[in-house]
Amino acid sequence: MSSEQLTAAVKNPYLPDLATVVGVVDETPNIKSFRVVLNDEEKMKRFSFEPGQVGQLSVFGVGESTFVINSPPTRMEYLQFSVMKAGEATAALHELSLGDQIGVRAPLGNWFPYRQMKGRDILFVGGGIGLAPLRTLILFMLDTRKDYGDITIIYGARSHADLCYKEDLEDWGKRHDIELILTVDANSPGPPIREGFVPTILNEVAPKPDHKVAITCGPPIMIKYVLQNLAQLGFKDVDVITTLEARMKCGIGLCGRCNIGSSFICKDGPVFSLAELKRLKFEM
Amino acid sequence: MNLEKLKEIVRTVLPSVDVVVGYKKGFDALHPVPCFLTSPEEIDALVLNPACVHNLAAYLPSLKNKAAVVVKGCDSRTVVQLAQEGLIKRENVVVIGVPCQGTVSVRKVLSAINHQPVIGASFENDTLVVKTKKGETRLALHDVLSDKCLTCRYPTPVLSDHLAGEQIEPKTAGKEAYQDIRDFDARSLEERRAYWLKEFDRCIRCYACRNACPLCVCRESCIAETRDPHWMSQRATQNEKMMFHMIHAIHLAGRCTECGECERACPMGIPVAKLKKKINMEMKELFGYEPGISMDDKPPMYTFKVEEEKIEEHKIR
Amino acid sequence: MKKARYLKKQKEKEFIAALGAKARVYAPCLEDEAVLFKPAEPDSTICLSRPAVSSPKSVIYPQSETLFSFRFKKDAEDKRRTLVELDDTIEVPDTIIFGARPCDARGIAIIDRAFSKTDTPDPYYLARREKTTIVTLTCPEPSSGCFCTWVGCGPAETSNSDVMMTEVEDGYLMEALTEKGEALLESPILEDGTPYEAQAREAQKAAHERMVKEAGETDTTPVDPETFDSQAFWEKAAERCLGCGACTYLCPTCYCFNITDETVVDKGERIRSWDACMFHHFTLEASGHNPRAAKALRLKNRIGHKFLYYGEKYDGIIACSGCGRCIRGCPVSMEISTIASALKKNSGTVSGEQ
Repeated sequence: MSSEQLTAAVKNPYLPDLATVVGVVDETPNIKSFRVVLNDEEKMKRFSFEPGQVGQLSVFGVGESTFVINSPPTRMEYLQFSVMKAGEATAALHELSLGDQIGVRAPLGNWFPYRQMKGRDILFVGGGIGLAPLRTLILFMLDTRKDYGDITIIYGARSHADLCYKEDLEDWGKRHDIELILTVDANSPGPPIREGFVPTILNEVAPKPDHKVAITCGPPIMIKYVLQNLAQLGFKDVDVITTLEARMKCGIGLCGRCNIGSSFICKDGPVFSLAELKRLKFEM
Repeated sequence: MNLEKLKEIVRTVLPSVDVVVGYKKGFDALHPVPCFLTSPEEIDALVLNPACVHNLAAYLPSLKNKAAVVVKGCDSRTVVQLAQEGLIKRENVVVIGVPCQGTVSVRKVLSAINHQPVIGASFENDTLVVKTKKGETRLALHDVLSDKCLTCRYPTPVLSDHLAGEQIEPKTAGKEAYQDIRDFDARSLEERRAYWLKEFDRCIRCYACRNACPLCVCRESCIAETRDPHWMSQRATQNEKMMFHMIHAIHLAGRCTECGECERACPMGIPVAKLKKKINMEMKELFGYEPGISMDDKPPMYTFKVEEEKIEEHKIR
Repeated sequence: MKKARYLKKQKEKEFIAALGAKARVYAPCLEDEAVLFKPAEPDSTICLSRPAVSSPKSVIYPQSETLFSFRFKKDAEDKRRTLVELDDTIEVPDTIIFGARPCDARGIAIIDRAFSKTDTPDPYYLARREKTTIVTLTCPEPSSGCFCTWVGCGPAETSNSDVMMTEVEDGYLMEALTEKGEALLESPILEDGTPYEAQAREAQKAAHERMVKEAGETDTTPVDPETFDSQAFWEKAAERCLGCGACTYLCPTCYCFNITDETVVDKGERIRSWDACMFHHFTLEASGHNPRAAKALRLKNRIGHKFLYYGEKYDGIIACSGCGRCIRGCPVSMEISTIASALKKNSGTVSGEQ
C-alpha cells in the first residue's frame, strides 16, 4: 500500500488555490462582484491570464461554479468575479464577506482573440450580466488603447437597477475615446436612459461591419437576436464573437457535461466565433 | 395470449389515437421491446407472448394527446393508479387489455440454459422452448415465471376498453399472496439487515428501478440526486444505497401496483420489489387497501380519519 | 518476451491467493446469479465462463472517490476569521484485475486516453492506473448482444492488457505482454506454457472467427452526417429509452462524472462520482435552461460521443468496445449496435438484428 501526495507527481487540476475575499460590490439586486487575492503571495504575483478566461470558485462544503475573470490582466491588484444568484453555489457565494476563504481554479478555458482584433474597430453588444466577460476585454483594451480603432459599447438591462458596473458605465460615458450607448427595457427611477431591447437598439444604431469585430454576451434569447441582426447588418461570421455558458463541473474538458459535439465549452471555449458555432451546429 | 385478436383491436383503435403502445421483436426472442405505432403498416410487427414483460402503462404520462396502450393485468392497475393521481386523463387513454397467465423471468430462463445466447424461443402452451447453439431446451413455463406472477391476483386487466382474450381466474387470493413476505419477516433483524446490506452492496445507483417505475414522480427532486433538500451524498456506499431504496419504497406506499418493473429493470438482479411488496402487505393489513384496483377507490394516504380502525394510538404510560 | 506459462485449472484459486498476498486482486465472482468484479476472497466463487455484468473500470475509476478533504479552523490571530485546509492525499494500492475480457481492457484504454492525453491529466486515475495490472481472458464465445469485432476490438485482442490468458486443456496459457505482466507470471505455481502455445493460438483464432461470424469485421464506415443530425431519427431511436444510467454505469468506456461537496460540522470532502449524460438533469443549469432536456438529444450525445466525438479528438477511435452489456442490461433492450449501424447507413447486420 502506498499513499500518494498527488500534487507532487502531477499537478492536480481539481485542487483549488486558497484565496481571500478582499472586496464585495453590490452591482444589482441579484449580482455581486467579488474581488479576491490568492493566499499564496508568490502565486498571486506570478498569476497571469488572458481576457475572456474563466475561473471556478469554490465555497468549500457547497460546491464550485464558473465565472469569467472579470478584471483585466492589466490590473492585477485582485481578481474580480461577478456572480448572479441563481442556485446553491451562487447563493453561498453571495453570503461571503471580507476576509472569507474560497477556492479558485483559474485560469481555465480559451480567451478573446484580441491579438487578431488589433487595429480594428470593436463593437461590444451586451445585456445584463453579459457585460461581465465584455468588461474584462473593454478594460484591457482601454489599458492598451492605441492598439485598437473605434470602440463602441451597446449595453442594456431590464431596468436601471439591473445595469451592472454602474461606476464603469459612468466612467465610460464620460470618456472621449469610447462610445457608450446605454439602454433599458423599461425606464425606472433614475436618470432617463434610451429605452428598448438591446437587439432593437443594435438595429437602430446600425453599425457598419467594415473593419469591425463584434463581441456579444447576454441572456441566450438576447444573443440569438443580436447574432441574427449582426448577420443582417453584414457582419461576417468570423468577425462575430460570443462567450457561452453551461453547467460545468470539472472545468477541464473531462466530465462530459458542457460539450457541444466534441468541443467543450470549459476548454475549447467559452469564447467562440459565430463561424465556429455554426461549424459545431450549435443551437441557441 | 391472443396475438391475432390484439392486432384486430389495434387495427380498429389506431385511427382514433395518436399512438398505440405495444410490443415488437427485440434483439433476441426473449427480449421483445416496447414499440410506438403510428401507422397501420406497423401493426404486423406486433408481438404478444409471455416474454412481453414491460409495463407499457409507464409511458403514458409522457405521451401527449390520445394514446392506446396494451396492458396485462398488473399493468392495468398502473393505469388506474395513474388516473387516480391525475398523472394521466382517463379519457385520453384507450386501454387494450390482455388477460395474462404470467410472464417469464429472463433471469430464470438464462439460469436454466446456463447463460447461453438465445437463438430462438417459442411458447407452446405451458412450455417455453429455447434454442441455443448447444441445442434445444424445453422448460416448464411455471418454472421460469417471474416471482410476481406466482402470486398474481389480477390476471385479467381490472379495467379495459377492449379485451384481447378470455377472462382468466386468479391463482392466488389475498393473504397467500404475501406468504413469501411473511416468511422473510420471520427472519431475525440481524439476518434481514445483513441480507439487505449485501444486496445493496452491488447497487450501482443507475436508477433503472426508479425510471422504470410508472409511479415515480419526484423527477428532478429525487432524493438520490437533489441537493435541495440535501439528504444524501453521491457516495456509492451501502448506507446511501439503502437509504435511496427505502425512501423510494416508502414513496410508493399505497401507490405501488406491483408490476415488478423495478426488480426486472435492475441490471444487478437486486430483489427490490420485495420492499414494495412488504409495504403493500402493510397497506392491505392496516387499511384493507390495494392500489390500482378501482377508479373510485380513495387511497388511504390521501385521506384522513381521526380514528383509524387498525392503528393503535400511541399510548403514553 | 519471456516464455509463456501455464496455469492448471485446479491451481487457479491458489494462484489468485498468491497474487493476493502482494496486491488487491479483483476477479469476476459469482454472487447469486450475477457475476461481478469483486475483491477475490478465499470463499469467493470465481466465474470465468461468462462476462461480468459490469466492467472492471470501477477498480481503477471508482464509482465515488474523495478528491480532497477540507477542514475549517478558526484563525488563531483573528477568531472572527475561518481558515480552510485542503488535503488531497489518496491511497493507491497495488491492484490486479484478473479475468477481464478484451472489451474491458479496451474500455480502460479509452478512459486512459481521455484522462492522460490532455494538458490537465487526471492524477487520481493515473495514480491508480499505474498500480494496476490487467490479466485478460480470451473470450471463447460471444455473449448475446456482443459485437466487439465490429468496433475494432476482438475476443483475442491483447491491447492494453498485461497478461493474456487463453483456455487450453485443463488450464490456461498465460502470456506476458508487458513488464508488469512478466512480473506477475513469476510464480512457482505456474508451469512452462510452451506445450500449450499451439492450442492457444488455435483457440484465439477460432474465437475471433466466431465473433466475426456473429458481428462482422471492423466497420470503418463513417457516421452519416445527415442521419446524425436528424431530429426524427433520434426521436424514433429514443422512444422507449427510460433515461436511466444503466447503460452508462455498466459500460467499460463511459467516464462522465459529477463533483459534489459534503460537510459535517468543521470538515468535509469534495467527491467525484459517476454521472450519466442520459440523466435528464445532467446539463440542467441553475437558470432552469437545459440544452439536452429531450431524451432524443441525450441519446444522440451518448452515442455521438462513442461513435463520433471521441474519434474527432483521438484519431478516429471508436469509444465503444462492443461488449453488449448496455444491450443486455438495458430494461428496454436499447441496441447501440443497431443504432450505430443505422447511423452509418449500413445495410449489413449486426448481432441479432433482422
